[in-house]
Amino acid sequence: MNVDLPAGTRNYTYIQDMAIFRTRTHWGLFLGLLAAMLTMPLYLGNYWLSVANLIGITIIAATGLNILTGYCGQLSIGHAGFIAVGAYTSAILTNRFELPFLLGLICAGLVAGLIGIIFGIPSMRVKGFYLAISTIAAQFIIIWVINHWNSMTGGFTGIRVPPASIGGISFVSQASQFYLITASTAMSVFFARNLARTRSGRAFIAIRDNDLAAEVMGINLFRYKLTAFFIGCFLAGIAGSLLAHRIGYINAEHFTLMDSILYIAMIIIGGAGTTIGPIFGVIFIQMLQQGITLISPTLESTFALPAGFTTGIGPMVLGLIIVLFLILEPRGLAHRWTLFKASYRLWPFSY
Amino acid sequence: MNLKKTLKVTGAACLALIITTIPLLSTGCAGEISNADKVKVGFSICYTGAAAEKGRPMGDGKLDCIKYVNEELNGVDGHQIEVIWRDNQYDAAKAGTIVSELMNKGCLFFTTNASKMMGASMEIANRAEFAGFSVFSAPALTHPPQHIYGQMPDYGDDWAAFARYYMENIWQGSGKPKMVLHLLNNPTGYGARDAANALADEMGIDIVAIEEHSATTISEIESLTRIKALNPDILYISSTPQPTSIIIKNAVELDMYPGITIACGHAGFTSALTDLAGANAEGVYGVFPTVNWGDDVPAMAKMTEYCQNYHPEDYGNMDYITTWAEGLIVTEILRLAIENVGVDNLTPQTVEEYGFKKLNNFDVGGLHGAVSYTPGDNRLSKSVRVFQIQDGEIVPISGWVEAPLIKYEDFEWFGK
Repeated sequence: MNVDLPAGTRNYTYIQDMAIFRTRTHWGLFLGLLAAMLTMPLYLGNYWLSVANLIGITIIAATGLNILTGYCGQLSIGHAGFIAVGAYTSAILTNRFELPFLLGLICAGLVAGLIGIIFGIPSMRVKGFYLAISTIAAQFIIIWVINHWNSMTGGFTGIRVPPASIGGISFVSQASQFYLITASTAMSVFFARNLARTRSGRAFIAIRDNDLAAEVMGINLFRYKLTAFFIGCFLAGIAGSLLAHRIGYINAEHFTLMDSILYIAMIIIGGAGTTIGPIFGVIFIQMLQQGITLISPTLESTFALPAGFTTGIGPMVLGLIIVLFLILEPRGLAHRWTLFKASYRLWPFSY
Repeated sequence: MNLKKTLKVTGAACLALIITTIPLLSTGCAGEISNADKVKVGFSICYTGAAAEKGRPMGDGKLDCIKYVNEELNGVDGHQIEVIWRDNQYDAAKAGTIVSELMNKGCLFFTTNASKMMGASMEIANRAEFAGFSVFSAPALTHPPQHIYGQMPDYGDDWAAFARYYMENIWQGSGKPKMVLHLLNNPTGYGARDAANALADEMGIDIVAIEEHSATTISEIESLTRIKALNPDILYISSTPQPTSIIIKNAVELDMYPGITIACGHAGFTSALTDLAGANAEGVYGVFPTVNWGDDVPAMAKMTEYCQNYHPEDYGNMDYITTWAEGLIVTEILRLAIENVGVDNLTPQTVEEYGFKKLNNFDVGGLHGAVSYTPGDNRLSKSVRVFQIQDGEIVPISGWVEAPLIKYEDFEWFGK
């Protein structure tokens, strides 16, 4: 049952109960957002479009990690490695074998998903910190293979990736990439939102909350844990493919352990186990990073600070924010958003 | 309820207003950039991050040089150079968004210090035909030549120049000397490997092993033990100062050095190396594309004055020299473009065509080899010198050595 509805709005059919956009306000906000997204290239310059593109790609990857970690409770610190699998699969297929982008994109997701299943097998035996360590191993193994499979991946030097192209339309400009990435992001979020309400989604949540109890209830742990790994890594692969075609030249340094840790931070700050959480988390972290980069030269010249001082404190600020979120709002920005909505519905009669 | 409805209507109206008016407002705000007073260039600098020990003096050098040009030379033909710089933190993802920002802000071209950062930016720039050059370069950046240039010879050229010098001046044995490459695991290291792959046989050098290390390595005892067993004649290191110093210190601990020749590519051969490795580095050879501090060249006095006034901590660091020269090249590119097409017609495309491509034997105050554009070869300067660490100082032991163009793209192993 949907508990997010305003007073007086009731569901009388299953269709109403399952609807994502249930009220006119929902539809209004959705259409407003759609209009804003469609017109964004008109008023955003190349830079902000490139930031928006980066945010879109990161949301896809974080949504994948959220399914795996937030919904199913399988901690993964190798997510950047799975993104790398997608990026290189797409790069190799479109560069070396000159296959179409769409095929590269789908294969990127599938190959990353399959590699995810392989590294997910230990989740049958281990969980928590132990699983985290085994997924870190995935990060190192994948990057090692990329760096040393020189003939295919270009090794440490890297590999060029042609621009994405569908049906003769080439996505070279930031504006055209924005539409491609936004459409992919919307589909990924829509998929994740619906997945959470399916039998599989409920099974993931049951496993996360208590896997022993879930198994006693008849949930096949092997099947559902590996499904979560496949879906989470599939989305990581899709994100990797889009990233590779956006930047046009990749090497393993685009997929570091630090990135994997940042993805965890994003879903914690946004709110793990919610659809909107990764979106909030990604936007928050990316804007924080971009903001620090943007204002640093001004701050340093205004206060006569040594060059690099303010960007140097960026990681410290990020760490502090994560700690504060864990202490003050462990349910993340998504919970704040829920409180805001509830407050809005009752306003001005809060009690 | 009425209040709520009012709020909804107001919200919807505001949203509609924003959507309809922002495109109009933004055309006024972000429209044509006036070139009348200032010409904009973008610098992507690694002030922080894993390569900060090089990025900081390099950032200081180029910003000081532009300050000198603006304040003492009144800019370029009376037009001040406006620098938009960002700290990329040696992070590939940031470098990509920074180049987009620089394009968006109306920069005419951009530069990076590090080959890795240019690698992360170059395809975005190439696709937009937004020219740029990297101070430190690698073969992958300029092969095949597009819109990215290398200020100085690349890491492959270092290897080729040193190998030639070694064969002509140091090697006195019979047969082929045995060389081991110890490479940083990024384009800095693999540029040297590519040149060795292309030229070692032809030059009569036997590459017996290739080892890798990371920028954060703390010990290379293990790899050096393997190398020692091969009994090489030369250990060639293409890396940054910190790992290079660790390799040299470990070689001394294993009694490998002295006893063999150790040589370094230019990314690692700065005063930071002598500071970090201390007496262990005595006798180590290195290739560097600039003169040394205190050399009698025209640009030395002004550069030294600015360095000592504004960044005395960088004095003695050769990385500062590379980017002071970069500042002079930036100025020359702009001067040529203004001279050829006029300041009102400056665009990234005209600056590349009439600035970059018109560079012809430009003398960077003697700081490094002359700068020219040669069709098909996007390296702007093509000369290096061989140095040796003697009594703790980096001392030149050769004149300028021209690094020939290696057509990497003709080799199948170079890839696409």
